[in-house]
Amino acid sequence: MAIFFATLPQQVINGLTLGAVYALIALGYSMVYGVLRLLNFAHGDVYMVGAFIGYFVMQALIPTSVPVIVIALMLIAAMAGCGFLGVVIEQFAYRPLRNAPRIAPLISALGVSFFIENAVQLMLTAQYRTYQTEKLIPPSLGISIGNGRLSATRALVIISAVVLMIILQYLVRNTRLGKAMRAVAIDREAAAMMGVNVDQVIVFTFFVGSALAGAGGVLTGLVFTNIWNLMGFTAGLKGFTAAVLGGIGNIPGAMLGGFVLGIAETFAVTFISSTYKDAVAFVVLVLVLLIRPQGLLGTRITQKV
Amino acid sequence: MSQDKIGTDQWVEQYQGRVNRRNRVALLVDRASKRLPVWAWLIILALVAATLPLLTSNDLVIRIAGNVALLGALALGLNVVVGYAGLLDLGFVAFYGIGAYAYAYLSSNFIGIHLPTGITLIAITVISGLFGLLLGLPSLRLLGDYLAIVTLGFGLIFQQLMTSMTRVSIPGQPSPVNLTGGPNGILNLDPIRIFGWTASSVTDYYYIMLVLLVVMMLVIYHLYKSRLGRAWSALREDELAAEAMGMPTRRLKVQAFATGAAIAGLCGGLFAAWQGSVFPSNFDTNLLINLYAIIVLGGLGSLPGVLIGSLVIVAVPDVLRNADLAGKLFYLGAIVTLFGALKPRWQTPLLLIAVAVFGLIVKFIILAIPSLGWAPLPPVGSAYLDVIHSWLVAPANPVLTGNAGNIGFAALLILGLGVTRIKNTWARFVVLIPTLYLLVFVWETRLSQEASVTRLLFIGVLLIVLMIYRPNGLLGQKRVEIV
Repeated sequence: MAIFFATLPQQVINGLTLGAVYALIALGYSMVYGVLRLLNFAHGDVYMVGAFIGYFVMQALIPTSVPVIVIALMLIAAMAGCGFLGVVIEQFAYRPLRNAPRIAPLISALGVSFFIENAVQLMLTAQYRTYQTEKLIPPSLGISIGNGRLSATRALVIISAVVLMIILQYLVRNTRLGKAMRAVAIDREAAAMMGVNVDQVIVFTFFVGSALAGAGGVLTGLVFTNIWNLMGFTAGLKGFTAAVLGGIGNIPGAMLGGFVLGIAETFAVTFISSTYKDAVAFVVLVLVLLIRPQGLLGTRITQKV
Repeated sequence: MSQDKIGTDQWVEQYQGRVNRRNRVALLVDRASKRLPVWAWLIILALVAATLPLLTSNDLVIRIAGNVALLGALALGLNVVVGYAGLLDLGFVAFYGIGAYAYAYLSSNFIGIHLPTGITLIAITVISGLFGLLLGLPSLRLLGDYLAIVTLGFGLIFQQLMTSMTRVSIPGQPSPVNLTGGPNGILNLDPIRIFGWTASSVTDYYYIMLVLLVVMMLVIYHLYKSRLGRAWSALREDELAAEAMGMPTRRLKVQAFATGAAIAGLCGGLFAAWQGSVFPSNFDTNLLINLYAIIVLGGLGSLPGVLIGSLVIVAVPDVLRNADLAGKLFYLGAIVTLFGALKPRWQTPLLLIAVAVFGLIVKFIILAIPSLGWAPLPPVGSAYLDVIHSWLVAPANPVLTGNAGNIGFAALLILGLGVTRIKNTWARFVVLIPTLYLLVFVWETRLSQEASVTRLLFIGVLLIVLMIYRPNGLLGQKRVEIV
């Protein structure tokens, strides 16, 4: 028990960092699901592409620029690139299938995910790439909290994620497009009849969701440094688990779910065994489905006729 | 489809005709298959396939044929879940793995159990079926989408646990126990022994896989015609209507899911016996995607479709290890696709000529600037490849060639996607010229060099394109949506 309390602050910090990334992925999953009722399996791979965009921007700029600018540019480039990628995926792989039987877009999504993974492998090989975070943020920078230590990198990750979520929340709550998005999520046909441009809303949803995943990819790279072409697969699964945990289609729920899952996973690794690291998300997913299928913050989904 | 709506009764009456009109290939197969009963077709098929080892003594060919049969049987199992019942099961490979590991536990020195093959096979079928039941029960309570993600997670976790559970502390045991053999797997499994006969050669296993395939086809054919099978297809077509008709939809789903899992388990056991070992990497996502490509290509829910799909997806890549042959097939495929996709038919030959001219001009311009350091690709000693290589230009430095190929690949993706959005025939024609030139360039500099990745790329594209343009596959029944 003594060990538990001694390591608790550090584990909470680690869990929040991991959770911030999961939450960013979960948001895109949840938004797309809310609007289209589609599981976008390619979402995890968009996140992977984001990590690589950040990596290449970093490689190009590190020798010449100020760290703060490099990090900002990495995030902006990854978000713009991934947002664009998300829109392209929607245009070419999902839009033609909008009225197809439910299983068709899912298989198409599987194909997109597989294509992106292998296209990246073709161009960049399957080897790990390493973020040179220590050149941007000195490892010694940080503050102590109890027995734990909050390094500047982890603080950056948590703060950026929270800022992005606040911006998102503003977008969804206070802008016309956000309002339209919520309307489409509730009832696409009714929204279309009220004059909402559904296609535009869907494109916007994909752009925002994928951009958040891209930011998540860069932040992952900054904290955990190693990136490779299959990292999106597991991450996508965890993002989805976080989305379900919080209540799918529910934006604050996705954030909460991400943080809860991150902390649960960190605790499981520290206090049980690292053998089961990735199994935690899965167990959480099944438990949520059994006990509270609508998630922590969600409302019960009733199937529409 | 509005012009079809003459009156509901007439419209319903014409259903079969409309289905047939839309799918000529399926109609032909359907007519051919009606001439003889199913068992007769199966016997013919089995007899033809059984002569293969007499025709060739090349072990590789027989091994590939055995793989076609094994993956065909496995895809039949997946087809029950996805094609008949309409449940997206992405953890299917895990059940295959469970069967394989169960076989390994029950017939090797790993635990020290050596059960007779017959009992083992029955046991692993039951075990994997139970796992299917266990996983299906919670996830099928909700919308179908949850099943997809839960099973996807299950497949992932299975592979990871098999890799990492090498030092597990079990209460009552003094030291950590190796439960799975980790990445090194479990080796030296017993071969299949039935009635005193031991399978030893590749040919023996080929026959076993053939028997598996034929038995599986018979079982599934009759299953589909049965009350249960009809209930499944009703479920797939319209769950709500099925439920309104009093069908226990949830039970039906779990049954379909568990049936698929049991079939996968059996196939996994035979696979383990054939390989003589099991490794976690045998059950990765690539296998899953290949299986989906098989059933989607053949047509969801179609029995002969699965055979064709399995033949194409499993055998073709193996035959194409020969780069020369692969290139020929690639160009042939590209030209056939062009003929099919470009509507005024005369456009295709014109386009090919235009690409050739365009290539010559590009070559002329680039070679005129010596400071770039580009040269025609080196000859490789195959007549047609040498022609193409002398027509393409690339950096003389091989490393730079690879980089140029990568950049070309990215450009090709953008151009290729762009082309599909151009409506104007002539504008599309003009954009297609550089696109095709780029395609040849990328193929020669990059894709043909990385055959394994290229194959997976094509499978990814295949899944997307099939879902958009031909969701019923080659032989599947076209669903006519009732508006």
